[in-house]
Amino acid sequence: MRAEELKGHLDALLLAALEDGPRHGYAVMEALRHSTGGRLDLPTGTIYPALHRLETAGLIAGSWSVVTGRRRRVYELTAAGKEALSGKRADWCDFAAMMSAALEGGPCPEPA
Amino acid sequence: MPGTRLISDYLAALSADLPGQIVEELADGLDETYHGYLGRGLAPDAAARAAIKEFGEPRVIVAAFTDASHSRKTARRLLAAGPGVGVCWAVVLITARVWQWPVPVVARVLFGVALVTVIGLLAAAAFGRHYRLVCRAAAAACAGTAVLDAVMIGTVLAAAPVLVWPVVAAVALSAGRSAFALRNMSHALTG
Repeated sequence: MRAEELKGHLDALLLAALEDGPRHGYAVMEALRHSTGGRLDLPTGTIYPALHRLETAGLIAGSWSVVTGRRRRVYELTAAGKEALSGKRADWCDFAAMMSAALEGGPCPEPA
Repeated sequence: MPGTRLISDYLAALSADLPGQIVEELADGLDETYHGYLGRGLAPDAAARAAIKEFGEPRVIVAAFTDASHSRKTARRLLAAGPGVGVCWAVVLITARVWQWPVPVVARVLFGVALVTVIGLLAAAAFGRHYRLVCRAAAAACAGTAVLDAVMIGTVLAAAPVLVWPVVAAVALSAGRSAFALRNMSHALTG
C-alpha cells in the first residue's frame, strides 16, 4: 500500500503502533511493517514528520534518551492519543463494515 | 567507508533545510536502517544505498516536515482570519470617514506597504516549500501582524473613540489575533 492510499489513515496506524509502549521512529516503522505483513510501502523518512505532527496535536509525547552513546527521540501515547486511537478504531470498524456489506459477494483479486 | 560517506552526504542534504534536532533524529533512524541491512549481509555501500532508498528522497522528507510544521499551521490560520478581520476594520474605517482623518500620507503609505509585506510573508509561510524559509517567514509575519493590529487599534481609538459595535468587534478580533500571533511566534521560529 502506497502513501497516497494511506491518506487519512496514517495517524491511526502510528497511534496503534505506539499502543504497546514507547517507541522511536524506526521502531514505529518496524512495528507497522510487522503489523501490516510488510504491505506498507512508505518512505521511512516520512514517518518522522507525521510523528511530529501528532506530537504538536498532543496525541503523543516525545522525549530524548541516550542509547549506546547516541541521542534518540522516543514517543509514547498521551491520554488524548489513547482516546483518539479508540475513536479512530471505532470509525474504521464502522467504515469497514459498511464497505464489506456493500462489496460483499465479489471475489477479492490477488494483490499485484 | 563508502557506505558512511553516502549517509553523510544524505544527512548533509537534509541539514541544509531542517533544524539540527530533526536531522539528529533522522540520523538515528537512518543508522538503524543501515545496520539492519548490514545485518542482512549487504556490503556497506549497498547497505547505505538501500537504507537511503528506504528513507526516501530528502526533498520529500523536507516537504513533509514543512507541511507538518507549527509555522505552516500558524500562517494558514492567520491567513484564514485575515479577510474577516479586514472586513470589520473596513466597516469601521468607512463609517468613521477615514479619508477625513488627519493622518499623513506617508503614514498611510507605510501602513499599506507593511500590510502587503505581512500578507506576502504569510503566503510564503503557508505555501513555501523550504522549511527554514517557512519558519522565518511565519515568525516575521506573526510579529508584523501584532504590530499592524496594535497600530490599527491605537489609531482608531485615538481618532474616533466611539464604542459602536463595529469598533468593538474589530478591536476584539484584532486583539485576539495579536495574542494568537505573539503566542505562536516563538514556536514559529523553532518550526
